[in-house]
Amino acid sequence: MIDLNDIISTTEFNPLIYWIIALMAIPLLSFFTTTFLKKIAPVWATLLLGINLSISIYLASQYWDTTGVSIRGNWFSIGDTQLTYSFLIDQLALIMLVVVNFISVLVHFFSMEYMRHDENKSRYFGLLGLFTFSMLGIILFYDLLFIFIFWELVGLSSFLLIGFWFEKKSASLAANKAFIMNRIGDLGFITGLMILYSQFQTFDLEGIKSLTVLSSIEDENWVAEYFKNGELVRNSLDGRWLSAAGIALFCGAVGKSAQFPLQVWLPDAMEGPTPVSALIHAATMVAAGVFMIARIFVILDAQALEVVAVVGAITAFMAAVAAFSQFDIKKVLAYSTISQLGYMVLAMGVGAYTAGLFHLVTHAMFKAGLFLSAGTIIHQLHQLEGKDVNFDPQDMRVMGGLRKYMPVTFICFMICALALAGLPGFSGFLSKDAILLNTAVWIDEKGGGFYFIEVLAFATVLITAFYTFRMIFLVFTGDFRLPKLIPASATLKPLQEGNVFLKLPMVLLAIGSLSIIFGFTMKAENTWFYQLIQDPIFLVPESYAAFNLMDLPHEWFENLHSQVVVISIGLALSGLVIAYFLFKPGAKFSASFAEKREPIGLVGQISFYHWYQNALYEKVILKFIIWKARRIAWFDRVILDGFINFIAKFQVVFAHLIAWFDRNIIDGFVHLTTYTTGRVGQLTRSVQSGNVQAYIMAALAFLILMLIWLLF
Amino acid sequence: MIENLLTYIIFTPLLGALVVLFLPQSKTSSFKWVALGALGVTLVLSVLAVTSFDASVEGLTNSEDQLQLVDKAKWFSVELGSLGKFSVDYFVGVDGLNLSLLLLAAIVLFIGAISSFGIKQKQKGYFGLYLLLSTSVLGCFVALDFFLFYLFFEFMLLPMYFLIGIWGGPRREYAAIKFFLYTLVGSILILIVMIGLYNSVYDPVKTGMEAGVIENVSEASPEVISNIQFAVQSGQIESENIVKSFNMISMADDANYLPDSFLGKNSYGEIFGQSARWMAFLALLIGFAIKLPAFPFHTWLPDAHVEAPTAVSVVLAGILLKIGGYGIIRTAFSFFPDSAFHYAWLIGFFGLFSILYGAMNALAQKDLKRLIAYSSVSHMGFVLLGLAAMTVEGVTGAIYQMFSHGLISSMLFLLVGVLYDRTHDRGIENYGGLASKMPKFTILITIAFFASLGLPGFSGFIAELMVFIGAFKSSTVIGAIPYWMPVVATLGLVLGAGYYLWTLQRMFFGKFWVKDKAWRETLVDLNAREYVMLIPLVILIIWFGIYPATLLDLINNSVEGFTQLLILSVE
Repeated sequence: MIDLNDIISTTEFNPLIYWIIALMAIPLLSFFTTTFLKKIAPVWATLLLGINLSISIYLASQYWDTTGVSIRGNWFSIGDTQLTYSFLIDQLALIMLVVVNFISVLVHFFSMEYMRHDENKSRYFGLLGLFTFSMLGIILFYDLLFIFIFWELVGLSSFLLIGFWFEKKSASLAANKAFIMNRIGDLGFITGLMILYSQFQTFDLEGIKSLTVLSSIEDENWVAEYFKNGELVRNSLDGRWLSAAGIALFCGAVGKSAQFPLQVWLPDAMEGPTPVSALIHAATMVAAGVFMIARIFVILDAQALEVVAVVGAITAFMAAVAAFSQFDIKKVLAYSTISQLGYMVLAMGVGAYTAGLFHLVTHAMFKAGLFLSAGTIIHQLHQLEGKDVNFDPQDMRVMGGLRKYMPVTFICFMICALALAGLPGFSGFLSKDAILLNTAVWIDEKGGGFYFIEVLAFATVLITAFYTFRMIFLVFTGDFRLPKLIPASATLKPLQEGNVFLKLPMVLLAIGSLSIIFGFTMKAENTWFYQLIQDPIFLVPESYAAFNLMDLPHEWFENLHSQVVVISIGLALSGLVIAYFLFKPGAKFSASFAEKREPIGLVGQISFYHWYQNALYEKVILKFIIWKARRIAWFDRVILDGFINFIAKFQVVFAHLIAWFDRNIIDGFVHLTTYTTGRVGQLTRSVQSGNVQAYIMAALAFLILMLIWLLF
Repeated sequence: MIENLLTYIIFTPLLGALVVLFLPQSKTSSFKWVALGALGVTLVLSVLAVTSFDASVEGLTNSEDQLQLVDKAKWFSVELGSLGKFSVDYFVGVDGLNLSLLLLAAIVLFIGAISSFGIKQKQKGYFGLYLLLSTSVLGCFVALDFFLFYLFFEFMLLPMYFLIGIWGGPRREYAAIKFFLYTLVGSILILIVMIGLYNSVYDPVKTGMEAGVIENVSEASPEVISNIQFAVQSGQIESENIVKSFNMISMADDANYLPDSFLGKNSYGEIFGQSARWMAFLALLIGFAIKLPAFPFHTWLPDAHVEAPTAVSVVLAGILLKIGGYGIIRTAFSFFPDSAFHYAWLIGFFGLFSILYGAMNALAQKDLKRLIAYSSVSHMGFVLLGLAAMTVEGVTGAIYQMFSHGLISSMLFLLVGVLYDRTHDRGIENYGGLASKMPKFTILITIAFFASLGLPGFSGFIAELMVFIGAFKSSTVIGAIPYWMPVVATLGLVLGAGYYLWTLQRMFFGKFWVKDKAWRETLVDLNAREYVMLIPLVILIIWFGIYPATLLDLINNSVEGFTQLLILSVE
């Protein structure tokens, strides 16, 4: 049998560790130094990240073909339990490294222009460094505890960046919301850590996986048997804890990847600077949840995976619905991000590991591209703001016809949008198609009540295309609405295309959103991504394990593929067509769009207010907690402390009573005694007169009395 | 290594107090330097004690062999005729259970002394009392004779009473008396048990010497001791030769309880129809839970904190509370492990309840200092939960939590003090947007808040994590507390994030605004003295969050010895 200590033993020295340290130290250096480099902070930070990107690319080229290199060492021990740290450089980590660093560099570069006039830009670039550091930690470490540690640090940097303009109340509220929603998810993460630790006494993923394979189900109990320090350990938990562990860890991903029911923080997170939204709230941090699910994928059991799939599908649909009535361009993109993350999570839930990760990568590119394009628009519109011209540059109501003014932005936005809508020729098509296909196959096998997942997944395709093209029509076609809304703005300088700092990242990301990057194919499985990363096999005991998709007959995939492609393209095109008829220049909705206030009708309301989830949380649950807290504080102050004070006061009163008793009763008794004694003394003194005859008389009388008493 | 190191550590502050006492009033400005110097020496000596500590020593908590830096001298003894004899020793020593707390006390007292530099009135009295307090606190952590421990424990109240009552805020008299009386109630419970224990426990070595089995202490090998213990248990030694003792290490060994004694393991002593051992355990538990403080015995804490001057708050939260936790470990759990197991559920429940109750209270507070006081209640709940788990992870977590909370809460109270010094107001609602006015202060308070809410990278996270995993494992390993307790306790983390972030948002973010216009001038950023107090704490909090082995390597063996003791009693 396996000894745990052998699995998690320290590995031999590997020079790779220097690269790993460098990867993490460089962004951290950026965090610590930018504060002191006021002026050159942006250039310095961008340069550092450039180095990081080069290292990532170098590592990727070096370790592309290996099966994964792990490095492990001891961190600290509790009693006889050794806690370790470990890194794993495998294909997944390498791809994530390149993607994160690539987008991070682009965002740094973009921010040099975007934040040029912000007086706190050195803090801004420092925080970007902190974020990159934390994110790389999640990617590089192969130990659940360390993943959790960096997970929370990512939460911290997200908090600090959302609240970057802390003087705005809405920004600091949004920052709090993001952190707390993430924390709620993290309770699950910690619970998952507790369960796994109590079984395996390690957080090392290699250790957990090796011991999970060996664990078994005996009489509904989940039993883990292994040696530790040469002694046999046999830990047993109710079998339900196996599912619970997976679901609990997934809760962490629900928070971080903005899944139902914790997704409400992401739209608010748009309070942060737009490049931050591109980096953190579109491409990387929110994808960390999906990445984490990938890391623990093989220890998820069938039940946990079902939960994952259902949550993913619900999220994808709900957020897509919310996206189609927003006015704020960043809000549309935020809801769209939630929706796409829902797809990734759904993919994980149905066991389509590779498809989910593939979508993660393609989405990172096209969504970052969309955000940076939107950022360019916002930045350029912001230039028009002046003393008498105040408007919200994120509001699509002031936009319109921008294609004429900003052609490059338009093309980049368009390419990324087509990828988002999932149209052939663009990266999103490949990955989304793979997810839909796998979902369809999974449901065919699973059957039962899971068909609604398929319905939601396909409905989302339609809605996604609809809101994407609604956005494009409203932003880029027709007439520029701002001069009409605020005539004063027309006299100011005209709207212009952004400069190279804004353009270059956008263009690169747009190129990254072409499907040709991943291979000249219509099928995801022919891409290089699929050559590198394959679906793993579940490791949990058989009676709890889900079926592996790869075990299903290959014909199923073949047969369904053409159907899925036709249906999804058909749905996406329908979305486009509907959007065209509703929002083309001069159409019913676009004509009066500038004056539009909040949507009317039930669907519009539900969409605009995102199913009233915020209202429920803020007006009901949060209010209740605050009310409860005040009640408890009242109880503490009035009842509990009151009781203590009452006892104290009672003591004092009692003491006074005793004092009164002492003064009047006890002392009174003393007085009485002395008084009586005195009186008796006086009385007896009169007897002792010195008269001998009287004494004899008394003695005689006493003698007689005694005799009488003795005789009778 | 220095001989009698611990004795020097304990009494250096007392020496400082005497110097302060005899210095003339004209030298007022030197009092604080004397205090700082004395506590500086104490700190250096404590660090020396930690570095000279041999971490490889193993042994159960009830064996004197595993103690280090022991100073033991006969103090006094009383002949009781046919009842034998009782002896009281001056007995100090460290093992992994109190080593970290000794170090913590030295650090916090030193930093508290720096923060006391702001005190302007009656400096002689203040620094004299502060040094006196230091001696009793340090003594309390290393005393291993119950009589001595109790002496230090009680003596702490005196300087504390005056420090709050004279140099405190507007309601200082109320707070001081409340603190004094409340703690005294706990002390009485402890005293009762102490008397009961002294009636039941004998010192095998001294009894052996008295009975003539051995000549001197050096002959007392473990074998000889167990022979003596056997002889006593089987009644072979005359009762007048039995030497009763207050030795806290002896008290943790069942074999040192007299046969048929009131608190012996197999005794039939009953109070209110309950086993006397159970009741004694509860009395100790409540006595120390008042100090900790745990719900429902915590209401003295917010008042004491709010009224106390900054340095006293720091010492109170940073060290005094830990004596509660330490007392539970060293006395209640060590002496009565079987009872501890019996009541583990209850202890765990009150720990859990304190976590949530304290956090909910903190959420509703309007005074920044009260908020932090309640957060202390919440964090001390983790100590109880970890101890109730009775696993290595849980107990280590409890000790680590005490250490870490000592550093973090010190920092928090110092920061509140910074604000209070400038405006004499702590109302959360009276400030807004301080970040733009005092950016450096904001950075430090953000660090402290995040450390306190358990962000990884800071020491509090490691502590809470260990408590969680230890508490969850408990059911599998020993069965002390159920699985759901740690799972529910995680809610405390969200509430913690809630009250801290809400406070940050209300006080520090948004547009700069203060209630009183005059504060606009007085609110200046941190000065050099404040950096000197705060930066070392930041470094320590981060260091112990990243590299916990610094501390854990020292205490692992002792904690294992302790949990081993608990497990043996259960089997």
